[in-house]
Amino acid sequence: MKIAIDVMGGDHAPTEIIAGAVEWAKKSNDELLLTGKEDLIAEILQNYTYPADQIHIISASQVIEMDESPAVAMRKKKDASIVVATRLVKEGRADAVLSCGSTGAQMASALFILGRIENIDRPAIVAAIPNRQGSHTFLVDVGANVDCKPQQLLQFALLGKAYAGIDLDINEPRVALLNNGEEETKGNSLATESYSLLKAQAGLNFIGNIEGRDIFSAKADVIVCDGFTGNILLKAIEGLAQEAVQSCLHELEKIPSFLSRFDYSRVGGAPLLGVEGISIVCHGSSKREAVYNGIKTARDCVVKDIVKRQKLALTQSL
Amino acid sequence: MEKFFEIARKILAEQLNIDPAEITMETTFEEIEADSIDIVEMIMALEDMYDVEFPEDDLEDYPVLGELIKALYVYLEKEKK
Repeated sequence: MKIAIDVMGGDHAPTEIIAGAVEWAKKSNDELLLTGKEDLIAEILQNYTYPADQIHIISASQVIEMDESPAVAMRKKKDASIVVATRLVKEGRADAVLSCGSTGAQMASALFILGRIENIDRPAIVAAIPNRQGSHTFLVDVGANVDCKPQQLLQFALLGKAYAGIDLDINEPRVALLNNGEEETKGNSLATESYSLLKAQAGLNFIGNIEGRDIFSAKADVIVCDGFTGNILLKAIEGLAQEAVQSCLHELEKIPSFLSRFDYSRVGGAPLLGVEGISIVCHGSSKREAVYNGIKTARDCVVKDIVKRQKLALTQSL
Repeated sequence: MEKFFEIARKILAEQLNIDPAEITMETTFEEIEADSIDIVEMIMALEDMYDVEFPEDDLEDYPVLGELIKALYVYLEKEKK
């Protein structure tokens, strides 16, 4: 398997990204295509012993910065590391792409280079939230789309349902809408309009609204929200978990296993759903462990053939 | 120019799932809730149609659709010559 990695994106790029890639190469047979500034990557790689036939440098002279308008930057910077990495997937030279850089740039690259799955307007990021049954509840979208329309939330629901079906290997994932109350009339206009669409969608298995406190209760398999809300929620969960871990270490001198499941560095990455290729979004603050686990996520998505199966599930739903 | 605008309007309306009649030369992207992805997508569709590559600079300087269309059209005419 070949995985393209944008090593220039992220708070700890390129050093930690390369370190995570090297670790993965040592423990697998996968080939990793590192896109970025060639001289810099070569210089960092000199610090490691690694299987040379598994790590390849693909030159990309530009980087899309976090403060740039993603879609415009993607057009302007055709030799940006995320653009080059995504193109490798499009050209069939890599099976998946992974980045810790600008989520917007990754989304724009995936949308314009890989293309969207039919009937999907915008890709969405799905995050696996640990639940009390020892399984996961999938939260969609956690940051690809800040402003959403009801129709897009319906599409996220369908994508989330498809992905949950693949990952949890269940036939009828339960889909809920994140809201500030369970009643149908609760919420802002986006929530109430989305509720109507979700309710009317045949075969969705929509179970209604769900409140923030029930995210971990395993009442739903998929929870839909706009990317602005989802991103804040995800980071609040991670932040709370981090604080809880510190408190447990301080008072109990150990970390309960449930809490350690919230460590994003263990999860690594989240797939971008709705595009014609596998693109794994990692935290901007990812260090080597998160990158290593992000590559693992990419590998899992390739093995599970998530693009083909999303398309199949959508065909059955629409 | 009018034909060029009509094509752009049709592309944009289809992308945004709205009635083309809602879009005029004076329409701002904000009014029709079109973000930078929608704008770039429209430009890329026009590029494919006219087999041209528009310059990437200053796309964000055109909050009004008509202004962007005029700028693209000027470039298109220049390329034809």
